[in-house]
Amino acid sequence: MNHVLNIGLYLHIPFCFKKCIYCDFFSIATSDEQLKKRYISAIIKEMELHGKKNQEVELTSIYLGGGTPTALSGLQLQEILRACFLKFPIDEMAEITVEANPGTIDLGKCKLLFQAGANRLSLGVQSFDDEMLRKLGRIHTKEDSLAAYHSAREAGFKNINIDIMFGLPGQSKIGFKETLTEVIQLKPEHISLYALSLEPETPLGHLVAAGKIKLPSDDFTNKLFLEAITLLGERNYEHYEISNFALPGKRSIHNQLYWNCQPYLGLGAGATSFMSNKRYRNYQDPELYIELLNFGILPIECQEILSSSEKMSEKIILKLRMMEGLAKAEFRGLFGTPIEHFFGKPIQELKEQGLLAESKTHYYLTKRGISLANNVFLEFLD
Amino acid sequence: MTEITKAANIRNFSIIAHIDHGKSTIADRILELTETISQREIREQVLDDMDLEREKGITIKSKPVRLLYKALNGKQYIFNLIDTPGHVDFSYEVSRSLAACEGALMVVDAAQGVQAQTISNVQMALEHKLSIIPVINKIDLSTADPEKVSKEIKKINGLSESPILMASARDGTGIREVLEAIVKYIPPPDGKLEKPLQALIFDSVYNPYQGSVVYIRIVNGVVKPGSKIQTMSNKNNYEVNEVGIFMPKRKKVEQLSVGEVGYLTAGFKDITLTKVGDTITNSEQPADRQLPGYKKVIPMVFCSFYPVENDDYPDLKYALEKLSLNDSAISYIPENSPALGFGFRCGFLGLLHMEIIQERLEREYQIQLIATTPSVLYRVYLKNKQIIEIDNPSSLPEAALIDYIEEPFIELTLITPSQFLGGIMELLQDRRGVFKNMEYLDKDIARLLYHLPLNEIMLDFYDRIKSISKGYASIDYHIMGYQESALIKVDVLVNQEVVDNLSFITHKDKAYERARKIVDNLKTAIPRQLFEVPIQASVNRKIIARSTVRALKKNVIAKCYGGDISRKRKLLEKQKAGKKRMKRIGKVEIPQEAFMSILKID
Repeated sequence: MNHVLNIGLYLHIPFCFKKCIYCDFFSIATSDEQLKKRYISAIIKEMELHGKKNQEVELTSIYLGGGTPTALSGLQLQEILRACFLKFPIDEMAEITVEANPGTIDLGKCKLLFQAGANRLSLGVQSFDDEMLRKLGRIHTKEDSLAAYHSAREAGFKNINIDIMFGLPGQSKIGFKETLTEVIQLKPEHISLYALSLEPETPLGHLVAAGKIKLPSDDFTNKLFLEAITLLGERNYEHYEISNFALPGKRSIHNQLYWNCQPYLGLGAGATSFMSNKRYRNYQDPELYIELLNFGILPIECQEILSSSEKMSEKIILKLRMMEGLAKAEFRGLFGTPIEHFFGKPIQELKEQGLLAESKTHYYLTKRGISLANNVFLEFLD
Repeated sequence: MTEITKAANIRNFSIIAHIDHGKSTIADRILELTETISQREIREQVLDDMDLEREKGITIKSKPVRLLYKALNGKQYIFNLIDTPGHVDFSYEVSRSLAACEGALMVVDAAQGVQAQTISNVQMALEHKLSIIPVINKIDLSTADPEKVSKEIKKINGLSESPILMASARDGTGIREVLEAIVKYIPPPDGKLEKPLQALIFDSVYNPYQGSVVYIRIVNGVVKPGSKIQTMSNKNNYEVNEVGIFMPKRKKVEQLSVGEVGYLTAGFKDITLTKVGDTITNSEQPADRQLPGYKKVIPMVFCSFYPVENDDYPDLKYALEKLSLNDSAISYIPENSPALGFGFRCGFLGLLHMEIIQERLEREYQIQLIATTPSVLYRVYLKNKQIIEIDNPSSLPEAALIDYIEEPFIELTLITPSQFLGGIMELLQDRRGVFKNMEYLDKDIARLLYHLPLNEIMLDFYDRIKSISKGYASIDYHIMGYQESALIKVDVLVNQEVVDNLSFITHKDKAYERARKIVDNLKTAIPRQLFEVPIQASVNRKIIARSTVRALKKNVIAKCYGGDISRKRKLLEKQKAGKKRMKRIGKVEIPQEAFMSILKID
C-alpha cells in the first residue's frame, strides 16, 4: 500500500421528529418512511462513489450527525454503519460516534448501534429543566436523558458525550448549575457546553425580534460560562476547545479534525467535505440529493478553494479555538514564515488588551480572550 | 432683429408665488399661448430644468425667457418673463430679479390662500415699485374658494385696489386675460437709449467654453459685441464677445438695448467676477453711478461635509469647485477632523440652500456625505476688544477670554389657521421667540410676527411647525441683524476626548437638556467596546451630563464544526469589513451609520 491519507467521515442524517425553535441546521421534520429508505440507499451509493475514488484513505473517525440520526431505526443505522465498513478501510482504533436525541433511543437501539461498531454516543441532553426543554421544542425530558444515558452504558458504550446549552431564555444561574452538577455526577467522558446562538431566521429568532421572548444578557451568559469552566475544571474535565470539555484522553477525535484543518469527507444532504484545500458542499434538498445519486452523480452543489490567506486565517482561528493554542512552529512549517511576519501588530495589541497570551511555543487565548474570541479572530482576517 | 426694439412694446415681469401655488405651470401656459416654444418642446415646467428643481417643484436659479405676444389691440409685444427662485434662502436673487422688472404676477392658490411667502414676496415687489397683478390660480379645484382668497389678498398692504384675475393653469382658463393684464397694467421700461450703458446683472451661470454668462437687464443705453465694458463694483474691464436673448434657449442677437433682457459674455473667467446685483457700464463712457442694490451675499448657515469614504475627498473638492462656479453664495474651506478625516466647512444662504447643495453633491457627483449639525455665524467680542466671527462651535475661544457673544436674529412671519395658534406660540416661546405682532387676515387665518435667533430654526423647526399645524401654517423670515445672547459652548467627550464635530453653542438655559439628550443618544449609538467608555458633556470643563457604555464581556461563536467553518469565516469577514469602515474617536470605534445618526441628533 502506498501513502495512506487519514481522514474523518461525517454522515448527515437530515431528519428530525420535530424541529427545535432555535435550530438553523439543515433538517426536516418528517415521518415519511419511504423518504428515509430512499435516503439511506442514496447515502450508501455516495459512499460507493467516494470509496472507488479514494482507495488510499483510511478513516480515523466516523461521525453520524444531524438532524437526529436516531430518527432512523436501529436497524437502519446499522445498515449505514455496516456500509461504511464495507466501502472504506477503517483504522481499528477509529472513533465512531452517533448523535442521539434522548427521546429517540432505548436500550435495544443502543445495543444495535454498539453491535454495528459505534463506540461513542453523543447525547443531546441540553438541560435537565423539563419546562425549558418543552419551551425550546425539544421532544425529550430529563427522565428520558437519564434513561438514555444508562441504556448506553448498559449496552457497552465507554465513551459518552453530553451536550448542554446555556444562555437559554429564562434560564437562572441556579437552574443551570443544577443541570451541570447533575451531568457531572453521571461522569460522561465528554461534555459539550455551548451558548444558545440566536439565528434570525428561526422561530426563536422571530420571537425575540418581536419582543415575545427575551434572552439573558451577554454579561449574564458570560458569567454562567465562566462559572461552568471553573466547576468542570474542579471535576477533572479538561477545557480543550472553547465549548468542549473532556476527561483525560477522551477528547473527540473527530471534532479535533475540524480544528486541526485535517481532511474529512462529508456525506449526505448538505454535508461539507474538506480535502486538499478544497471545501465542498452537497445539495441540501434530500430529493435532489437522492435523484443525483440515482444517476450516479456526486451531489456536489458548490466548492470553495481556499486562498493562502484564507487558509492562514482558518488555521489561526481554528487553532485558537483550542485552549492549547497555535503552535508557532506549526504555522512556520505550513506557511514558511513566522506568524509575527503577517500579524505582528494585531498580536501585540491583543496581548496588550489581555485577550491573547504567548508561551515559548504557542499563542493561546486568555480567559478573557475565550469570552471575546470573535474580537481576537477578527484581527487574523485579511 | 436689426432694428432697435421699441421700449414701449416691452413688458418685463416676474411671477411670484408660494411654493406649489402653480408658478411654473402658469409660466408653461403663457409660453404655450405666446407660441414661444413649439408643441414638441412643451413639457411640464419648461423653466425648471434641473432635476432637483423638477423634483422639489422649486426654482433655484433665475431663468428669463423672451415671449412674443400679439395683443387683442393688434399690437405685437415683447414679454420678458423672469422666473425667480421661490425660497427665502434665495431672497437676494429674487430681489435682483425683481429689480430687472416693472411688474409681477402674484400667483395664489385658490384653495390654500395667502401664505407667509406670498406676503414677503409682495413686500419685496413693492419695494422695487413693481405693478402687481394678483392671480388666483387652481380655481378648478373642488376645494377652491376664490372669494375668500380675494378677501385675503385685499388685506395685504398695497393690494387693496388691485384687479384680481382668476385662472386655472391646469386647464388654461384665464391665461389670455392674464396676458392682456400684463399689457394693460405693467408699464413699459423707461430708460434712455442715449444715456451711457447701465445693465443690471440679475444672475449668471458658468460655461466652461465662454466663462461666466451674465443675465442682464439693460436700464439705459445699448450693448453689442465689441463694446468695451466695465463691472462697476470692481472696475474690471472687458470686451463683449456675444449678446443674446432667451428663447428660452440662448439665441445670439446683434445688440441689446434699453429695456431689454438678455445675456452677455465677455470672457469672464470666474463667476465671482460677475456678482449678481452689479452694474455693467461702458468703460469709455461710464455711467455716473451704479444701479442701486448691489450687496455682497453672506453665508448665514454653516455645516461640515465629509465624504463617507475618505477616498472620495478629492471628488468632493472637485464637485464643490464646480458647484461654486454657478453659485457664488457657497463658501468652503478645507477642514480636518480626527473622527471624520478630511472634509470642508461650508457656508450657505440658508437651510434649503444647504440641503440642495448636499443633494446635488450626492446625486450629481455620487459622493456619499456625512453632514454635521448646521450652525450659524456667531460674532464673538473678546475681552481684548477684538471681534471675531465663528462659524464652527469647536473654534470658540475659552470662556475666560470672551466678553460677550452675539448671534443672528430673524424676523419671522407665520400665517396659520387660528386653531393652531396655541401650539405654535408655545413652540416659538420654547425657541426663544419674542412676540411682536398678530393680525387676522380673515376671521380664522392669523398672521404672527416674531423675533427669534436664527439658530433656533436650524433643527427640527419646519417639521415641528408643519406637524403642529397639520401642514397648514407657512413661514417666512429675514435676517434682522445681530443681538447679544447668553450663549455657551457645550463639548462632548467620548472616553475623555472632546469630539470636535459634536461641540455645539447654545443658550445657557438649554445647555443641560440638549447635553442630556446627546449623551443618552450616544450611549445607544456607540457599540460596546473592550473597555468601559464614559460619555460626557461639559461646559468650561465642568461635566454637566454623563452616561457610560459598559465594556463588552462576551463575543464568541458557541460552536464551530466542519460544516460551519466557511460560514463562520464569512460571518467574521463581514464583521471585519464593517470594522475597517469604522470611524475612530481615540480608541473608541464607532460604525459609520452610528456616527451619522449621532451627528443628526438634535
